[in-house]
This record gives sequence, C-alpha cells and structure tokens, in this order.
Amino acid sequence: MLAAAAEVIRERGLDRARVSDVAERAGTSAPSVLYYFASKAELLREALVSAEEGYYEQLERELIGIESARERLVKIVGGGAADGDYDAALWMELWAKALSDPELAATRAELDGRWRRTIAEVVRYGQERGEFGAAEPEGFALLLGSLLDGLAVQIALGDAEVTPQRAQELSFALAERELGCELRAMA
Amino acid sequence: MTGVAATERGARERILAAAVERIASDGIDDMRIARVAMDAGVSTSLVHYHFETREALLGEALEYSYERAGEIRLADGEGAETNPPRRLLGMVEQCLPYPGVLRQDWVLWLELWLRTVRHPELGPTGARLYERMRDWLSEGIEACGPPPDVDSGELADRALALCDGFGVRVLIGEMPIEYAREQVWGYLARELNLDARLDAG
Repeated sequence: MLAAAAEVIRERGLDRARVSDVAERAGTSAPSVLYYFASKAELLREALVSAEEGYYEQLERELIGIESARERLVKIVGGGAADGDYDAALWMELWAKALSDPELAATRAELDGRWRRTIAEVVRYGQERGEFGAAEPEGFALLLGSLLDGLAVQIALGDAEVTPQRAQELSFALAERELGCELRAMA
Repeated sequence: MTGVAATERGARERILAAAVERIASDGIDDMRIARVAMDAGVSTSLVHYHFETREALLGEALEYSYERAGEIRLADGEGAETNPPRRLLGMVEQCLPYPGVLRQDWVLWLELWLRTVRHPELGPTGARLYERMRDWLSEGIEACGPPPDVDSGELADRALALCDGFGVRVLIGEMPIEYAREQVWGYLARELNLDARLDAG
C-alpha cells in the first residue's frame, strides 16, 4: 500500500493523488486504505518513513563491513541525495507540505535529524581514528546535508550541468575541505 | 509599439503576475482562472484570449516566475557594492528566503521544483535560470580573488546548492535565517580565506 502511495504521489503530486488510485494500484479498496491511513498527508508521511527505514537498514549493514571512516563517508554520500535514485519528488512534496502542516514539518525534522546523526557519527568515528581533522561533527553534518538537498533538487530538475556523478564530486570536495582529508581517490 | 499592442501586452503581464501570486498563496492546484482574472482586473474571457487553457496559463506563469525569480535574485543593486566580499555576501542573501519578496519567491520556487519534476518540459527554463545564477555567483567569487586551488565555477555550484538546502530549512521554520546566512557565508569565507566577520566593518 505504501509503495502504491509513493508511486501515485510521485506521478501526480499529493494534491492530485486520489485515495482510490492508491487503492486500485495496491489491489484493495479505498475504505481499507483509509482504515490504515487517516489522510493523504499520512500516506506521504508513512511512505517516506518506510522508505527511510529500508534505506538505513541497508546502510547500517553496509557500514559495518567498512573499516575506513573515509570509505564510510563515501558510501553515505553516494547512497544519499547525490544518488540518481533518491526520491526527490517525494521529498520536495514533504518540504512543500511542511510549510502548512506542522505534523509533516515534524516528520521532516525527524528524518533530517536521523540523517544528520548518521553523518555526524561517521565524522566522530573518523576523528577517533585520526582520519578526519577537527571539524565540529554536527555543524559539518548540517552543511553536508544541506548541500546534498540542494544538489538533489538540481538533479531532479534534470539540470544537465548537475549529474549524480558531478553532485558526488561537489560533495566530496566540500567534505575534503571541511574535514581535511582525501575522499575522491577512494570513490 | 502601438497603444493597443502596449495595453494588450500590459494585460498579459498583469495576468501572469496575478497567476504567479495566486500560485504562491493558494498552491498550483488551487489556482482558479476566475480569481486570477479578478486580481489582474480583467475579464475571464480576456484571460482565455491570451491563454487558451488553464494548463497554458500555468505553464507560462511558471516560466514567467522563473524569470522573475531570476531577476530578483540576480539584482544586486547595479554593482553599488564595490567591496567584492561584501558584494558576494549580498548575493548569498539574495538567494535566501528573507521575509518579504524573497520569501514569497521561495514558496513559489518550491512549487516550481515540484512542478518541474512532473513536467519535464519546464526543465530547460529551470536549467537556464540555474545557469545564469551559477555564472553570476561565479563572477562574484572570482572578484574576491580565490586561492589558486579553488575553482570559482565549482564553488558557485556548491554555494548555490547550499543556499537551496539551507533555504528550504529556513522556509519550513527549522532555523532562523541569520543562522543559514552565517553557515553559507562561513563556508565561502573558509574556501576563499576571507574574514567571515564583514558586519563588523
């Protein structure tokens, strides 16, 4: 049901997405969709939260197998917003709706917080191992997270200048500067 | 241009401007032709004369607003600021959702992004605007005399992405605008070996 919701919202936008479309695509009825999700905003929220859960589960599994902090950071940048698969349409929908819906604003802050904590943790880990310089981990996470969001927008807009690969390079360059390390050679 | 043509062109612009305002305040899907006509002070039939369908009006309004957004962002006082770092800081400020016209513009900006993702035919208009902003920022960076290992164009790309990423956060109310400005500017100042405390002087 959430996958169907994500599809419909991606295609039509939240305002034009109809519960009946979601139901049809999920092979169920509108009342049963509404039984689980009180509103369309809730569908958007749950679709994003569940996609994120899947993403972090996979990321955590992958990070455990990587010893180098720099390689971990490369993995995070490569699998995040600078990835062409990143679901920018749903995220932008969340941003736009968060302007008028405090619950969606809270969801967005929560998801962003988790993302920033993930980045900050890797920075701390790298500082302990002597791979990274003395940047403030939370400040760096906010900077990198904001950069990745901005780049994801340009990728989603189909800007020929900003391809996923170029977005990654731009992100690595910022991280190298702020953390005083070499990343591009490892990517 | 004859008087009639000038008036017609004026009406067309007024309709577009009114549509843009409506999109910003009501959202794209709730923009109504009748309401736009009222705001522009014209009849609905004149709106239909200039724009055959609602979709046509929407498409042109979005192009118009991309252009307008570009003009607002790219207006930096006709080079009134001659100190390059100060001018660059001014450019960063233009790219953030300060209360008033910039904030209104930003709300529209978000709608534009969403719309462009679903209607790739708007892509080239958006790309053109980003291109212009990139050149504009890059020139502002170049004027600051960047260190030899800093590529002005690439730094402009990063600065633009940072402004968008931080701008969204400000718009949603996650942080004060001054904080966002400090972060983006702080980063640029580090890259360019500039003193970040321009305000003091």
